Amino acid sequence: MNMMITNHILRAITLFGVVVAFNVNAQVKGLVQVSAVKGDSQASWQERGVGLYRFDHNTDGLVLSQGVLDFRTDLSSAWSAHGVINAYQDPEPTLGFTQAYLQYKPLTQSNYKWHVRVGGFYPLLSLENPQIGWLSPYNYTNSAINSWVGEELRTLGVEATIKRPGRRFNSAHSFSFIGATFKGNDPAGTLLAWRGFAMHDRQTTFNESIAFAPVTSLNTPQLQFQANQVLPFEEVDGRYGYYAGIHWDYLKQSQFRFYYYDNNGDPSAINYSTGQYAWDTRFSSAAWLYKFTANTRLIAQAMSGSTAMGSRRGVDNRFYSHFVLLSHKMAQHRLSIRYDYFKVTDKDDWAFDPNASHGEGITATWRYQLNSQWQLGVEGSALRSQADNRQSMGISSHISQQQIALNAQWRF
Amino acid sequence: MKLLITFALLLAFNSQAVTLIVSNQNKQVQPNVVVWLQPTTPIAEPPKPETTFVMEQKDRQFTPHILVVEQNGKVDFPNADSIMHHVYSFSKSKSFELKLYREQPQDPIIFDQTGVVELGCNIHDWMLGYIVVVDSPYYGITDQQGQLTLDIPQGDYTINTWHEGFSDISSTESQAMAINSAEVRYQLKQALIPRVAIGVDEYDDY
Repeated sequence: MNMMITNHILRAITLFGVVVAFNVNAQVKGLVQVSAVKGDSQASWQERGVGLYRFDHNTDGLVLSQGVLDFRTDLSSAWSAHGVINAYQDPEPTLGFTQAYLQYKPLTQSNYKWHVRVGGFYPLLSLENPQIGWLSPYNYTNSAINSWVGEELRTLGVEATIKRPGRRFNSAHSFSFIGATFKGNDPAGTLLAWRGFAMHDRQTTFNESIAFAPVTSLNTPQLQFQANQVLPFEEVDGRYGYYAGIHWDYLKQSQFRFYYYDNNGDPSAINYSTGQYAWDTRFSSAAWLYKFTANTRLIAQAMSGSTAMGSRRGVDNRFYSHFVLLSHKMAQHRLSIRYDYFKVTDKDDWAFDPNASHGEGITATWRYQLNSQWQLGVEGSALRSQADNRQSMGISSHISQQQIALNAQWRF
Repeated sequence: MKLLITFALLLAFNSQAVTLIVSNQNKQVQPNVVVWLQPTTPIAEPPKPETTFVMEQKDRQFTPHILVVEQNGKVDFPNADSIMHHVYSFSKSKSFELKLYREQPQDPIIFDQTGVVELGCNIHDWMLGYIVVVDSPYYGITDQQGQLTLDIPQGDYTINTWHEGFSDISSTESQAMAINSAEVRYQLKQALIPRVAIGVDEYDDY
């Protein structure tokens, strides 16, 4: 019911935004990315496989890997409506919103500045995804952390930010303090339990579901009410979640962000009709960006947390991941290389449902900016992973994968 | 009578290049000082062409950082960036806000009152720019050598200066000064506070 209301509100915001976007008080930007992919033989998680990449050998060839329409409509001096529409053709042709919110950001004479966002949006945990549509200008394939954030995390609520801008205090240091409360997002963590972390750039649109591989334990009586898919943004338990964050910038040379997130899920709550549990998911995330020079930067992020479902926390996991990304720009060229580590630890005593998994990956990307609209790029990525639940599906628990993609991006 | 007017005009237009050298309290030459000279006794000024001043938003900064305009001057705020800006000022001499979308120029703003206008952007809070509105045609900003060359008739003037390091950003310094040689020196009366400049790139919005 709550989800329905939320959806209606989101639809109203976005519809309103789109309609008003055609008048002059609007900024509309877009991006289309077509990729030629050489995928791995291991079937992708999108195709109910255990592969951790977005594509596999069945998707070899040309794909529309990103279609983004990002708009901002100003309703008054302080109010604006924002939305991001994404188009995908995998696993099925999809058109949907990944973000839709209203922002209130008044002009203020005070040295402190503040703004509020209401609707559906990302918490700004990451320093990897600053482009329109929450894309990365560095690697095409997101880090394990932000792949998960893109698929299972979204705020459907209210977020307030108070900022102490350095410029107003003639200081090199700027601080932002962020607090949010939200509904929805109860199933966040489900994918980590039954698939583990993955590496991709496929964001989940509102209302989309993500299917699992044929995980054996999902056929047991204990998990009979769990659907074979997750609806990550659904409201299940009627409780409010929250997060709090701090951003600390030194000039803009060093940017640090710390967040604590708790969806305050009641693990005993379940929506029988959709087969979704509320997961008690909480984590801390620390991200840091440091510019050695104007052209060379380091981005790192670490996330550590836990997730549990069931009245006796039958599924109870801890998860951890970090990445280190180095990016260097030379004229029209940008080279980015990233190392990812990820791990899920099984803490419960349900031996029939093993959730432990871990892995690491390396991703190297070269991008060439032809002009302000066109960009070409190539990326190679390799990862190896282990998951305890693979053997019962007749798959080796350890797998190694590679993916190569040529990408052409057009922006407007 | 005609002759007299011609003579007076000639006298008035008897401008010469005068170099002003501004130094700070440490007796070092001071760049980026806004200087304007007001004649003590009004002189006939050469007719000035209608100009529009430009304060551009480029690479998420105000360009130039400091713009000097004559009173009643029109200022355009073109946005050279691919993203929008929300430029504003709360300053006494001109309070305004301007939403600047990509490729959608807005009408220029007329700065009809003298004073210092501090500009900000509500979206990019590191952006900082100044418009100094002066009531004199003899103005400029000192270069890296602390120098400014003006074409100006000899005579008695009030020299006015402003620098973003002034402790009161809306105040200016003034002093009587005779312009009677090709080089004139001026020392600022107050110490300058170093201002933090925040350099950014296209990914720092997020």
